[in-house]
Amino acid sequence: MSLLDRRLLITAGKGGVGRSTVSAALALAAAQSGKRVLVCEVNTQPRIPGLFDSQVQGDEPFPVAPGVDSLVVRPDPAMREYVLMKLRFETLYRAVFENRWVSRFLHFIPSLPELVMLGKILFHVRERHWDLVVIDAPATGHGITFLGVPQAILDTVPPGAMHSEALWMRDLLVDPDRTLVNLVSLPEELPVNETLELAGATESQLGMGLGRVFLNRFVPERFSADERRLFPPPGADEERAPLLDAAFRAAHAQALRAERSAHFRERLQRGLDLPLTALPQIFHPASFGAAQTRELAAAMIREGL
Amino acid sequence: MSARPRRSRGAGGREAQAPSPPPVLTSTNSAETLKVLRERQVIVCVGAGGVGKTTVAATLALRAAAEGRKVMVLTIDPAKRLANALGLKELGNTQSRVDPERIRAAGVEPRGELWAMMLDLQRSWDDFIARHIPQEQREKLLENRFYKTLSTALAGSQEYIATEKLYELHARDEFDLIVLDTPPTAHALDFLDAPKRILDFLENDSMRILAAPALAAGKLGIKLMGLGGSWAAKAISRLTGTETLEELFLFMREIQGTYEVFKDRAAKVKALFASDAAAFVLVTNAQGVTVDETIYFHRLLLEERIPIAAVVANRVHRDFLRGRSLPTEAELAALLEAGSGDPTLAGRLLLTLEEAASMAHLDRRHLDRLAAATEPTAQLRVPRFDTDVHDLADLWIIGRHLFPGEEPAS
Repeated sequence: MSLLDRRLLITAGKGGVGRSTVSAALALAAAQSGKRVLVCEVNTQPRIPGLFDSQVQGDEPFPVAPGVDSLVVRPDPAMREYVLMKLRFETLYRAVFENRWVSRFLHFIPSLPELVMLGKILFHVRERHWDLVVIDAPATGHGITFLGVPQAILDTVPPGAMHSEALWMRDLLVDPDRTLVNLVSLPEELPVNETLELAGATESQLGMGLGRVFLNRFVPERFSADERRLFPPPGADEERAPLLDAAFRAAHAQALRAERSAHFRERLQRGLDLPLTALPQIFHPASFGAAQTRELAAAMIREGL
Repeated sequence: MSARPRRSRGAGGREAQAPSPPPVLTSTNSAETLKVLRERQVIVCVGAGGVGKTTVAATLALRAAAEGRKVMVLTIDPAKRLANALGLKELGNTQSRVDPERIRAAGVEPRGELWAMMLDLQRSWDDFIARHIPQEQREKLLENRFYKTLSTALAGSQEYIATEKLYELHARDEFDLIVLDTPPTAHALDFLDAPKRILDFLENDSMRILAAPALAAGKLGIKLMGLGGSWAAKAISRLTGTETLEELFLFMREIQGTYEVFKDRAAKVKALFASDAAAFVLVTNAQGVTVDETIYFHRLLLEERIPIAAVVANRVHRDFLRGRSLPTEAELAALLEAGSGDPTLAGRLLLTLEEAASMAHLDRRHLDRLAAATEPTAQLRVPRFDTDVHDLADLWIIGRHLFPGEEPAS
């Protein structure tokens, strides 16, 4: 059973490693293999629509590419939907939940906003409105908290409406045939450490299955060992033509980063028993848009996803 | 108001406090920022996650220690090797001095003292409660599962307790300078917003209105439906279950006594931040999204009248060509000694130069835009390192990039 045959793929990782770009590219790669995909962001400054040269349109899914829809989930509209579903009457909702005090109160019920946001997404998974749902999860610690909300509610909240909602959501999340967590990392110390910790927490704390590691901005080896010996800055008595010096300095930096990329790939492979996809740095003239997302998706497919 | 008497320690002659400078620093160069490092008592490093706040905080602390000050760097979650470099292996919430020999081994003479402490957020909350809540209420509170939410999951609680710890250290007056590395936040705003969120949570008018009769009665076991017979409460209980609401009401009753304490501390922290004892350093990288957020955060800080010492742009791609235009492959091939090596080398070198130039160009565009939007705050740029920052020697090198040509004052 391949990664893209799951119903729900969650993209997790440290802040700044490229979770959104990986989520967008993964969604696009899945769409290119014929799936209908929904890619979701949770209560954040929306990034995904921009990665398809599109803009946010309201609180419901909207198309951003052939086969790909985007959804930005926010607490207030999600809460409203949930309450309406439970209470069934719009007028009752208005009378009760648009009351200022009540709405403030609802925000303070621990985990309720997270539950309704996650619930909105998982509802689409359960009802199979799309073949595949991709969640761009919040960064590491917040992400673990977010995905752990159903279990936390089951552990603490007495049986009732919140409890039964949490139950089906937890069961969906911990079923590796339906749901997997993909990790995004960078070939740098801190992100790699965090990836290793995150992998542990995903399995032991959340009880969820892991899919792949995407090692983003991987720098491939480009120069031979003999060539690399040419590059280091010259001694005081040597001189290099300025252009050659610039080229050698750039190449020296490239070689060091390639070495580091290989080192951290090995550390991830040793530390995690997971397939790893190395993704190249995508160069762009101004901002990362649809063309770059396509390039990244192509790289994913080339690397066997 | 916050110009507390300063002890003379380390570098002499800088103790005298000048008349209060304006809240917005008008520094346009690193010398002004260095002055802040030498004179202020609190520096707060803020910025988006993953930009290198911890590294910058440690760099500033090391530099100030080298200058002769007794410095504490208060960090949240340092990289392992950096933590090791600071001697922070297994310390939770206890302060420890970085061995001066370690600093000397990095080629730096520590005229002052460098101390470090890793903040354990859960323990800081427990300590805070222990200090401010009477014994008889404390146990019930610590056991309540909503307390755990307050201390770990409630948005803003990490930020709040970090500033609380900072304030406590500052009040103890053991250090000349405290550098705070703030927790990674999803949004820059979270850090400034934290006290307000906590106070909102505690004040909770909604709770008073919905649950006033129950709180007044002060008894356990009151059925929710008895809570003033409120139809609003009934509707809510259909979503959450009755017992959840009851427990939450009880939690609110236990913790309501702390409201005044929180309010008082939050006001003091705010006054400290806006005073001439403190300054903020805004840490960013050169990526467009982060730069947007940094511009936004800079504006918020100004609105709060919080002094900003500098914007530190971290991990900036270097311009290897130094303004020259790209060579052609033939030019590079001619420069490489004829006949030596692989004929494709020139092409690969050119590709590498092109990639580097493209990154450097993009960074410069974003940082120039940032500089224009954050004028007149100084912008200090730190180049991207090709290896990880591991040790005190690396921190010292970063310091040299921050303050080029500025040797530590003797």
